[in-house]
Amino acid sequence: MATYLITGASSDVGTALIRRVYKSGDTIIAQGSGDIEKLRALAEETNGAVHPYDVDLTSTDAMDAFVAEIREKFDTPTHFVHLPALRMVNTKFKNFDEERFLLDMNVQVLSALHICKAILPAMAKAKTGRVLFMLTSYIIGLPPKNATAYIVAKNALRGLAQSLATEYAASGITVNCVAPYMMETKFLSDTPDLIVEASAAANPMKRNAQVTDVVPAMAFLLSEEAGFITGAVLPITGGAAY
Amino acid sequence: MEKQQIFEEVQEIFRTIFDDEELEITREMTADDIEDWDSLEQINLLVAMEKHFNIKFKLEDVHDLANVGEMMDLIERLVG
Repeated sequence: MATYLITGASSDVGTALIRRVYKSGDTIIAQGSGDIEKLRALAEETNGAVHPYDVDLTSTDAMDAFVAEIREKFDTPTHFVHLPALRMVNTKFKNFDEERFLLDMNVQVLSALHICKAILPAMAKAKTGRVLFMLTSYIIGLPPKNATAYIVAKNALRGLAQSLATEYAASGITVNCVAPYMMETKFLSDTPDLIVEASAAANPMKRNAQVTDVVPAMAFLLSEEAGFITGAVLPITGGAAY
Repeated sequence: MEKQQIFEEVQEIFRTIFDDEELEITREMTADDIEDWDSLEQINLLVAMEKHFNIKFKLEDVHDLANVGEMMDLIERLVG
């Protein structure tokens, strides 16, 4: 029986992943921020196996309280999936918004760091664990222009994943990342259609990624049989980057 | 909307996107004439114009735009 901790779980990917991996007897601790209705519905569907938490990850206090609650109330997670990010802002470097960048670093990087620090030592004692971070294909090869904040945060997350992969390999914990091409989800709700269409046209497979392209790959990396894969950044890009 | 007004407003958008307050556009100007005008900036330009003029481009309509003049003609048609 597995205990999943999923941050950013209220996203389209998060809810699809829960549906994909949940088996009777599992516990799923599911964090969202301000939009956890879908998680409440999943809690009902699973007879309470999904535990929704509304936590603002931009706040370190809220994050600390969440981590403390997880340690107190649940068994050590066997799986930690980290999905949250602030929406990408297309802006020139001279207009770099440091305040927003720091919020994004809290949401994406510090939250992962705090949670890993809280649970990985216990996972290591159990000699098993799966950790998975959501990155972006933008970190493969040349990054796009005007996306510095997003790229820096995602690369920090990759650095964290790969450092942990090395440090915990001997303990049976795998730490991997997925790097999808532009994914058509509600995360793109502020992105003009023209950008989404141009991205699809620029892809060798002439389309953007869908949740159904990404979730099965995530489920595989979280599975028992992926135990010899760690430190990997898996491109899910239709051939656009690898 | 008058052609001249569209021209002036498009010029302002170009100046903002390419961060050059002295940029003077012409109808014949193409991506070859502005160093930073690549495919990403092309999309940024078009998105800024969609927002400014409250119009919506189709990807197939903007794909074959040969120069700034054709871009302005398309805006004029969409603004009506």
